[in-house]
Amino acid sequence: MTNMTPLVTFKDVKKSFGAFKAVKELNLEIGRGEFVAIMGPSGCGKTTTLRMLAGLEAPSSGTITIDGQEMNDVPVHDRDTPLVWQSLALFPFLNVTENVEFGLKMRGVAPDERRTRALQWLDRMGLKGFENRRIDELSGGQRQRVALARSLVTEPQMLLLDEPLSALDAHLVIRMQGVLTKLQKELGITFVYVTHSQSEAFAMADRVVIMGQGEIAQIGKPQEIFRAPQNRFVAEFVGRNNILEGVVHGDIITIDGSDFALPGAPDGPVEIVVAADRMQIHATAPTDAAIAAEFVSEEFAGTGIICYFEGEGGEELKAQVTESQLATLQPEPGKMFWLSWAPDAAHVIAG
Amino acid sequence: MAKKTSLYEYAWRLPLILWQGLFFVGPLLLMVAMSFWLVRNYRMEPDFVFNNWDRMLSRDYFWNAYFVTFWRATLAAILASVLAFPASFALAFRASDTVRRWAVFFLIVPFFTSYLVRIYAWQVLLAESGPLNAIIGFLGLGPFTMLNSGFGAMVGYMTLVLPLVVILQTFSLAAIDKSLIEAARNLGANPRETLLRVIVPAAKVGLIIGFVFAFILSFGDFVSPFYLGGSNPPTLSILIVDTTKSGQQWPRAAVVAVMMIATLFVVAFAAVAAAYRKRS
Repeated sequence: MTNMTPLVTFKDVKKSFGAFKAVKELNLEIGRGEFVAIMGPSGCGKTTTLRMLAGLEAPSSGTITIDGQEMNDVPVHDRDTPLVWQSLALFPFLNVTENVEFGLKMRGVAPDERRTRALQWLDRMGLKGFENRRIDELSGGQRQRVALARSLVTEPQMLLLDEPLSALDAHLVIRMQGVLTKLQKELGITFVYVTHSQSEAFAMADRVVIMGQGEIAQIGKPQEIFRAPQNRFVAEFVGRNNILEGVVHGDIITIDGSDFALPGAPDGPVEIVVAADRMQIHATAPTDAAIAAEFVSEEFAGTGIICYFEGEGGEELKAQVTESQLATLQPEPGKMFWLSWAPDAAHVIAG
Repeated sequence: MAKKTSLYEYAWRLPLILWQGLFFVGPLLLMVAMSFWLVRNYRMEPDFVFNNWDRMLSRDYFWNAYFVTFWRATLAAILASVLAFPASFALAFRASDTVRRWAVFFLIVPFFTSYLVRIYAWQVLLAESGPLNAIIGFLGLGPFTMLNSGFGAMVGYMTLVLPLVVILQTFSLAAIDKSLIEAARNLGANPRETLLRVIVPAAKVGLIIGFVFAFILSFGDFVSPFYLGGSNPPTLSILIVDTTKSGQQWPRAAVVAVMMIATLFVVAFAAVAAAYRKRS
C-alpha cells in the first residue's frame, strides 16, 4: 500500500545562527502519510527544523532528502512543501479566492482551472459564500481555513504547519484539531506539525518528536511519550507527570522512607515517573506504601481535575481525579493525604 | 454617548487651526479672488471679471507651459521612483539594522543644505567646461550640453526628491510582514514574481506616497527649471514669475497658480484614493 521508504530524511543536520546552535545533529525520518508533531519549548529548534524542510533556512551542514531527492540546493519556490504560518501570512491585498489561487497561478495553471480548483477547496473548507471577501472581513477560524485551502490546493505530498492554532480561541482549537486530523486522513498526505502545546500534539499526531535545546529528546507515539518518557527533560516537558527520586534495592524503591515495588529496575539511585492520572489519593494512611503529602491546590484541566500536593521533601506531586472523587476527598490547603500507585504505573527514566 | 471636547483640548488644537487658517486658507482664497480682479495703470483693482481666465486659458503659451510642467513632474516622479526602488529594496531587505539606520541618516543630510545651494553646485558640475565634461572628455567624448536643458532640470528634480523618495520607500518596504514574502516563495513564486505580486502590492501605499511627493515637489519647483533648465521651455512656476514681472499682472499669475493648485489637488487626491483603495 504505502511506499516504505521515508518521505523525508534529515541526516546529521545542523543549523547555527552565529554562535547560537539552533539545531545540533538532527537525524529524523518522516514517513509517507504520517502525522508527525515536533514539540518543544521556545527556542528548542522545532521551527528552524520545519523552516529548513521548507527551504526557508539552509542547513549549516548535513542533508535533507525529500522523496529521495537531496534538497540542499533546491530553492524555496521549487519545493513542494507548503507551510501554514502561525500568522497565517494570507495576502491582505488579495481576496479569499485569489489567495487560494496564488499557488496554482505560480505553477502556471490556466485561469479557468485554477478558479475551479480554488472554489472546490473553499467549498470543502466550508467557505462557500466567502469567495470574494477580503481577508480582513473574515473571522480567525475562517482565515485559518483559507490558509489551509491555499496550501492544499496544489495537492502537495506534505503539509507543514507552524503553530497554526496558537492564535485561536480554545473552543476553535478543538474544532480545528478535528478538521486537521480528518483532512490528513482523507488526503493521506504527510503532516509535519510544529507546536509547543502537548494537547495539540497528542490529540492529532501519529508520532511525536520532542526537541530540547536543538536536539531530539525523544521520538515516539503519544502514549509512549506520556507513559514512558526517556529522560527528565521529556518527563518535565510533558507535565502532568510526577518525577520521584529514590533508591532501588532488589526490585524495591525507597522514596521518602516508603518502600514501593519496582520490578526489573537496576539497583542504585534512580528517578521514576508516575503519570498524574495513575496516582491514587487516600484520605487516610493506607496499609501499603504511600507518600504523605500536603494538599496545595486544584486545577480544572478539561478531562479532570489535577490536585497539587507537596511531599515531605518539598517535591511537587500531582494526581488527576474526577469531580466526584474530589467531592469525596474534600481537600483543603494544608490537609494531609497519602499518595500511592500500582507498580506498573511507575516508569524508570533512563540515564 | 458622545464625548464633549473640553476647552483644554481645543486650546491645544487652536494654534494649528489658526496657522492654517491665516497662512494657508486665507491666502488661497485671496488668490482665487485675485484671479478675478483687474489691473489698470499697473494697479490692481478688486473686481469680478473673467478677463484673466479668458486671457490665460486661451493662450498657447499657457497650455504649453502646463503640459511641459505636468510631463516633467510625471517623468521626475517615475524616474525618482524607479531609481530609488533598488536602493530602498536593498536597505529594507538586505542591509543590517545598523546599515539601514546610517543610510536613513545620510539620506536626511542633503536637507541640511539649502536646495538652492545644491543647485548652484550642479551648475558648476554640469557646465560646458565643468568637471563632468572634463571626465567625459578623458574618454574621448563630449563635451555635452547639460545645462539649460530638460536634462539639467531633471538632475535638479532628482536632487530635490530622490532622498525623500528613498526614505519613504525604505520605510514602507521594511514594514512588510516578512512572512508574506516567505509565503509567496513557499507557494512557488520565484523572486521576480514575489517582487511584482507580493512586495509591490504590500508596499503600495508607501510607493504611491513617494511618487506623489516627487510629482508635487517637481511640479511646483522653480529653482531647477530656472537655474538648470534655463527657463526653456518655461514651466508654470516660471510663467508666474514672468507674468508678475511684466506689467504687474498679479491676477493673471493668480490664474496660473490656481490652475496649479487645482491640478495638485486632483493628483494628490487620486493618488491617496488609489493607495488606500480596498478591494472587494
